[in-house]
Amino acid sequence: MFVAALALVVVIWETYKALGPADGGTLLGVRILPRTSEYAMPHVWDMFSRFNRPEVRGSDRSVFDAVLAGAWYSFRLSAAGFVMGGVVGVGLAVLMARFKLVQRGVLPYLVVSQTVPLIALAPLVVSWGGKLEVGPFVWPRWLSASVLGAFLAFFPIAVGTLRGLAAASASSVELMQSYAASWTKTLFKLRFPTAVPYMVPAFRLGASASVIGVVVAEISTGLRGGIGRLIIEYAREATGDPAKVYTAIFGAAALGLTMAGVVIAVDVFVMRNRPKESVS
Amino acid sequence: MSAVSIRNASKVFNQGKSNQVDALRDVSLDVKPGEFVSLIGPSGCGKSTLLRLIANLLEPTNGDVVVNDKPAVQARLDQDYGMAFQQAGLFEWRTVRKNIELPLELKGWDKNARTLRANEMLQLVQLPEFGDHYPWQLSGGMQQRIAIARALAAHPPLLLMDEPFGALDEMTREYMQGELLRICAATGTTVVFVTHSIPEAVYLSNRVVVMSPRPGRITKVVDVSLGGERNEDTRNRTAFFEAITAVREGLRGMHAAHVGLGNDDR
Amino acid sequence: MNRVGNLLRTTLGNALPAIVFGALFLGFWEWAVRFFELKPYFLTAPSAIWEQFTTNFSLIRGAATVSGTNALIGLLAGTVLGVAMSFVLSRFGFLNQLITPLAVALNAVPIFVLVAVLNNMYSITSEIPRRIMVALVVYFIVLVNVARGLTQVSPTHVELMRSYAASDVAILRKVRIPNAIPFLFVSLKIAAPAAVITAFVSEYFGGSQNGLGSRISSNIANSKNAAAWAYVLAACLLGLLFYLFSVVMESLNRKGEAK
Repeated sequence: MFVAALALVVVIWETYKALGPADGGTLLGVRILPRTSEYAMPHVWDMFSRFNRPEVRGSDRSVFDAVLAGAWYSFRLSAAGFVMGGVVGVGLAVLMARFKLVQRGVLPYLVVSQTVPLIALAPLVVSWGGKLEVGPFVWPRWLSASVLGAFLAFFPIAVGTLRGLAAASASSVELMQSYAASWTKTLFKLRFPTAVPYMVPAFRLGASASVIGVVVAEISTGLRGGIGRLIIEYAREATGDPAKVYTAIFGAAALGLTMAGVVIAVDVFVMRNRPKESVS
Repeated sequence: MSAVSIRNASKVFNQGKSNQVDALRDVSLDVKPGEFVSLIGPSGCGKSTLLRLIANLLEPTNGDVVVNDKPAVQARLDQDYGMAFQQAGLFEWRTVRKNIELPLELKGWDKNARTLRANEMLQLVQLPEFGDHYPWQLSGGMQQRIAIARALAAHPPLLLMDEPFGALDEMTREYMQGELLRICAATGTTVVFVTHSIPEAVYLSNRVVVMSPRPGRITKVVDVSLGGERNEDTRNRTAFFEAITAVREGLRGMHAAHVGLGNDDR
Repeated sequence: MNRVGNLLRTTLGNALPAIVFGALFLGFWEWAVRFFELKPYFLTAPSAIWEQFTTNFSLIRGAATVSGTNALIGLLAGTVLGVAMSFVLSRFGFLNQLITPLAVALNAVPIFVLVAVLNNMYSITSEIPRRIMVALVVYFIVLVNVARGLTQVSPTHVELMRSYAASDVAILRKVRIPNAIPFLFVSLKIAAPAAVITAFVSEYFGGSQNGLGSRISSNIANSKNAAAWAYVLAACLLGLLFYLFSVVMESLNRKGEAK
């Protein structure tokens, strides 16, 4: 089914290319139709064949290798950001579950932050790279990208985990009280296991958020080595080499899908013994 | 010597505010060791509140609650009772066996002792093959049996039950009543049992405590003189119907005076 | 009168910890910058940010209008197309099977990178690539949610309508569409902030330099960090504005419903 969907997209692309005006056109007076010339809109098969040919005229490295290296670099940054964001997010959620005052003070900001383009901070955070020093440690530029990813990931993770921690049924909590169990014991034996079905979608959101954060950070500053920079570079070369930028885009898509795949695999493992119902 | 001794206990919610509720007023009750006592009454009569006072999940506004010759709070810290609710409340991420082991884990038992005791309890409730299953793979009645096994895992002298069979169908309910009596006879546990069902209260108990709402108090205590033995014929005996009638009259007496009762039991 | 007073008191009481926390946070930030003499390239004091914000307000407003317009046009276009397509999807169930996995996969992918190719398809001063990008993102959000609203109706309701020998169109009008309307507003609450974010991020790919995103980058490149922060503040306010708009739309819709 998924393959059929992709096939449908390809068909639409090629159809428009065959039928559409080469120099772009107007629709209802607005210059909205894109150009369909070879330079603006390469054939789909050109995009794929581009993978095999060398990246730059005269270089040995094929585009495929370059894109793969870039995607792998960004993947590691995203993973680092995801882990950092996850740790902070879960920790904050536990703090909020324990201290109602903290929850009332902080949660509204967490909820609002998901509606606000925090990504605006990207250039600022990345500018710390190379300039910030804490003792002997000089802030490497790549860390900014991971931190941005962590920052974007930590909000949905914190909100989702808190929801899950609060989801334990009243009679289960009473049961633990009847056992005179401490808050910590109740946390680990009841609240965390109850929270898992809520943490799963929250972590998925966090994973895609961390990819977005990393890619945006790379793009806004041209961080060397990542897929974001490749996209920008290839886009600039598009007049001479139109298919190349698409290869990088496929790379970015692969990055996102791999990250999602890893998280989903962990989800499936963690939920393996649970009844097959879902929590929205 | 009483298993449970309640002296002039009262419980008021939202004291002084506009939504103040007199859940219990001046309730006194003694439960002898090994006795089976049911609390019955319409919604809002305070029976679940009274159960939670015994369990020390709530503190009385006035009066004393003594369990196992200790203040209720100490009895809870010492784990002198087990509790079962209407929803079996098994943890869906644990196997059946590990669910039974939960109170033992919290008491710090070592692994082997826990497994041994859990298997023993599985035998007691006659579900030995299900130890490695997950709760959602079991029927409602089976889940309740596991909940009872969990409540009795540490062999407490007292069992507190809040309408545990309320969610089961009639046939399963009657079966579970027989099972409960068998298990309690085998362990010699004292039971305080909250229910909505008159036949259930009479079938299970030595005494039925009838309560009424607004404010919650005990209006009548019915001695069920069916002797110690219960079986399928018990439900056909005259003494059974007489006890049911006695309880029903106790309930009816104040039901007429309280038309339009509230929904919550606390 | 007492009830209004009570309501006010409880709302304030609920909001108070958040307000206090916010004030403490800002206060600590200001103090930390002064006390530790933090360089502006790391953190700028809130007071400096505010000063820049008010000084450059007309410039900021101009940039915000550009980004905001892109977001708004994309939001409207995407919503209209998404709703239209969702009708098609609900009519032809097999299309649903086709589109839903695509939409799910796209959620995981940083789709905004497509702006790079969109920019090549249009002239360099056009804002159209950004608008298309926003429309695309909004389209999928709205499509998935509204399609769900149209198809996931209570089977009891459908059975009832069939017992009245109602036609498919009648069922659509009387059952499916009313069911789908709350889904539309829920999707708007997600799509509106997403529109602002997408409009924003699209600006990093080159093309026209009039929006908020480009301003932030250029200010940082010129080491004018306080000004950059002021633009960040404007971006956050813009996002908040869009979100509040969608919340208001949703509550207006709910006024007509039973509580």
